[in-house]
Amino acid sequence: MKRMWKVLTVVWIGVALLALPGLAQLAPELPRSETLIVGILTGRVGSASNFNEWVGWKWRDRGMQNLANEPLWSIDFATGEIINGLAAGDAIYSKDFRHVTIPLREGVTWTDGVPFTADDVVYTVKTIMATPGFNAHSALSNDVGAVYKDGDYKVMFDLKQANSRFHTHFLDRWGCIWIMPKHIFETVTDPLTFEFDPFVGCGPYKLHSYDPSGYWTIWEKRADWDKSPTGILYGEPKPKYIIFQTFGTEGAKIVAQLTHQLDAVDLSAEGLMAALAQGKTIRAYQPEFPWVVNNDPCITGLLFNTAVAPFDNVDVRWALLLAIDIVEHLGQAVDGMGTLSPVHIPSLGSYPEDFIKPMEPWLEAFTLDLGNGETFHPYDPDAPQRIVKYAKGRGYVVSDDPAVQDQAFGLGWYKYAPEAAAKLLEKNGFSKNSDGQWLLPDGTVWKIEVIETTDTSTHGFKNGNAAVQQWKQFGIDAEYVASDAQATLQGNGKFQVSGSWPAQEPWGAGVDLYRTLNYYNSAYMKPLGELNQGNNSRWSSPEMDAVIKGLRETDPADTAATVALGIEGLKLAVAAMPGIPTYGYCGFLTWDEYYWTNWPGSENPYTQPYAHWGPFKYMMPFLEPTGNK
Amino acid sequence: MTFTFVRRYFIPRLIQYFLVIFLGITAVFFIPRFAPTDPVQRTIAELRSRGTYLDPATVQNMIDDLRELYGLGGSWLEQYGTFWKRVFTGDFGISFFQFPTPVIDLIRTALPWTLSLLILTTMLSWVIGNVIGGVAGYFARNRWLRTLDAIAMVIRPMPYYIFALALLILFTYVLRWFPIAGGTAVGRKVAFNLDFILDVLRHAFLPALSLVILGGAIWFQTMKLIVQNINAEDFVQYAQLGGIKERRIVFRYVIRNAMLPQITGLALSLGQILSGALITEIVFSYPGLGTLLFHAIITGDYNLIMGITAISILAITTMILVIDLLYPLLDPRVKYR
Repeated sequence: MKRMWKVLTVVWIGVALLALPGLAQLAPELPRSETLIVGILTGRVGSASNFNEWVGWKWRDRGMQNLANEPLWSIDFATGEIINGLAAGDAIYSKDFRHVTIPLREGVTWTDGVPFTADDVVYTVKTIMATPGFNAHSALSNDVGAVYKDGDYKVMFDLKQANSRFHTHFLDRWGCIWIMPKHIFETVTDPLTFEFDPFVGCGPYKLHSYDPSGYWTIWEKRADWDKSPTGILYGEPKPKYIIFQTFGTEGAKIVAQLTHQLDAVDLSAEGLMAALAQGKTIRAYQPEFPWVVNNDPCITGLLFNTAVAPFDNVDVRWALLLAIDIVEHLGQAVDGMGTLSPVHIPSLGSYPEDFIKPMEPWLEAFTLDLGNGETFHPYDPDAPQRIVKYAKGRGYVVSDDPAVQDQAFGLGWYKYAPEAAAKLLEKNGFSKNSDGQWLLPDGTVWKIEVIETTDTSTHGFKNGNAAVQQWKQFGIDAEYVASDAQATLQGNGKFQVSGSWPAQEPWGAGVDLYRTLNYYNSAYMKPLGELNQGNNSRWSSPEMDAVIKGLRETDPADTAATVALGIEGLKLAVAAMPGIPTYGYCGFLTWDEYYWTNWPGSENPYTQPYAHWGPFKYMMPFLEPTGNK
Repeated sequence: MTFTFVRRYFIPRLIQYFLVIFLGITAVFFIPRFAPTDPVQRTIAELRSRGTYLDPATVQNMIDDLRELYGLGGSWLEQYGTFWKRVFTGDFGISFFQFPTPVIDLIRTALPWTLSLLILTTMLSWVIGNVIGGVAGYFARNRWLRTLDAIAMVIRPMPYYIFALALLILFTYVLRWFPIAGGTAVGRKVAFNLDFILDVLRHAFLPALSLVILGGAIWFQTMKLIVQNINAEDFVQYAQLGGIKERRIVFRYVIRNAMLPQITGLALSLGQILSGALITEIVFSYPGLGTLLFHAIITGDYNLIMGITAISILAITTMILVIDLLYPLLDPRVKYR
């Protein structure tokens, strides 16, 4: 027995020695009080030593797009601004949209001290066009006839065809075409396989080190930060080091944040509640319910494959919408935290004023033909009030200020009308059996498969499962099919319904909806079995094609004309309902204020709030250290 | 004897060995190609889903470019022929999803973490579980050993994920003794000095502990049951009646006889190490082959799947062959026939 105790004592001393440094996660040369630690949204970096983000997928939110790189322009969805980064101003188009001039910012240098000039832009475009395999090769080859410079700070493009949105190739909205440092890339034999390690950018931080296994990447503030657009525009960034780190589970993320080892991270709805409940220094984007980031420019919902029956029938699609009680749906999906939108763009920023409010008279007048001479107005401007009631019923404190409620819950949605839904289906030959199950017109039981991701934290999963519950209650044999192959299956049209975005995301700033509507272009719709190039609903129409053509021929700076065409496109999408918009993307973001404060919360949204979006770098000069060691 | 051994024992097993490897690797080549995940489409979908605006008008050109780049041109048969040529040179090509990183480089980065953690924990849990299980089986009435048995009974059915998560919360949040994540401290550079080694051990402690406790409990219980059966055998009864020392009976008579199935189990466990420890890696954010393989599967990264599984197949079949050849030495009842 004595021997056993001796062994146990030795083991215990060993464990104690190992545990001595306690929780210290950082190497000694990284003082925590000068270091900001944020999560990597897209997870562990698979190719840690490769920073060549112009080829394939390179986990660019590890600090490349959001910190060390500067694009020509960035979208900031919180302020609605388009920020000039490497560009000195807007792109200037010729009247026929066949020539573009881009003025460049002077005084910027790369992190290795070499000045940034028009040569870098010209080299980037020519290299990408000359090399199949770069992500933007086809896009630039399709558009650009010639690229050349006029002095060191002006780049000119001759386009092969008129394109009033050419500059958006370089507009960072969670990605764009970044500029290559010519002096580095011109020395390599194969720019496709070049790893670009160490990374050189024009951002305010330079690469410090990275984990070969891909769990973390560290960036260090440049000594010459004032030679970056961030420094020029906003001043000196505060953190000396910024670490992008990923954790295997949400539990680990929460523990890391509760122990002050993670300053900003995206969690699930449940994770957000757990972190807020336990962390005294943890806050969310909004100080009160619904806490979430609700101005992210993505609309979530459901998507129909309109190339397969019965979803090729607009009455069926509308019937499925009317069978959804949005209060229950939103409650199940995100506990009522989402902002409703009745159209195929989110209700955020200027979109409610520019699009949704002007559309309200049309939405209220919008009529469905239920058959037998009966009609139905589906729009419900009071839907957000039903969400408010739900939230209050859950014990959440909800502001009584109508403006705050509009901003938090939206301007309207659609009525829960199972009777109208039933009439629409019966009009098209559907019927119910004695068990109350809906039958297809051929008399077989109607089964709906909602195919979407296996990742429970995504809005695809949440919307998909919530809809399945709603449709089951309505009497349809609906089932959620989780598959890691869902992206391929949806691209090839091998699905019925999915929980994917019901429409392509808009830019998030400005009034141009071309990005959203162009995905409905009939030219991009492929036959089933082939990878679709446009919206996976495969819905298109001659009327929508005309709107798209109209937008192409309209200067996006012509606000009135752009808004009018955008509204026209949204009306067509609502009438056809190829996908059901439910709520705007909710970001379950948490910040720990133990080491850093002045985060851009809803009460002070000086920039977008995420660590993974491009303008994260523009947040750095505004963060304040607390002094905690 | 030697010739008979080679002809009747070694050659059939060697043929079987190569056949299993051939069939296994062939299956690994074809199975991912039947899956609905296409690596090119997956890459494009990933770029799109991550917010990259790909001009819809040019997506088809991009698909063609990527097929060319990934070497996915030609029929499956042609790809299969090329694949075998590469296997013989240890070249599994490039990873599609982590283009253009060679598969072998990705495996080389992950392998040391998996090998060091899993060889150590597999051996430790095997030794601890079998020794204590053997003693517990023989001294079935000992109070302490019965307590251990009860603890093993509670631990063994626990889902590993829950058990590992509980350890993580206990040691990193409640006690705050060990780091939450990673193989080393963030920012620590690889160096062969005491600081680095201690750092690696500190980070490996919780993943290792979770594997040793749960693995040890399983070996403990199986060994205890085998020993309890052997205890009832005549030769043990005779040894006890003959006054042979108990230590000698336990280790020479009982445990030695009980070891044979456990050795086979150990060989299989060691062979499976190369598949990685997915859940351990996820819970403790620990580097290794498990997550590499998991992501390769969900992204349809054929080359990476083939690289990892081919090495795994090779390891398992080799361990089985070695055990097959060594068995007659361990158990005189098994003859080379």
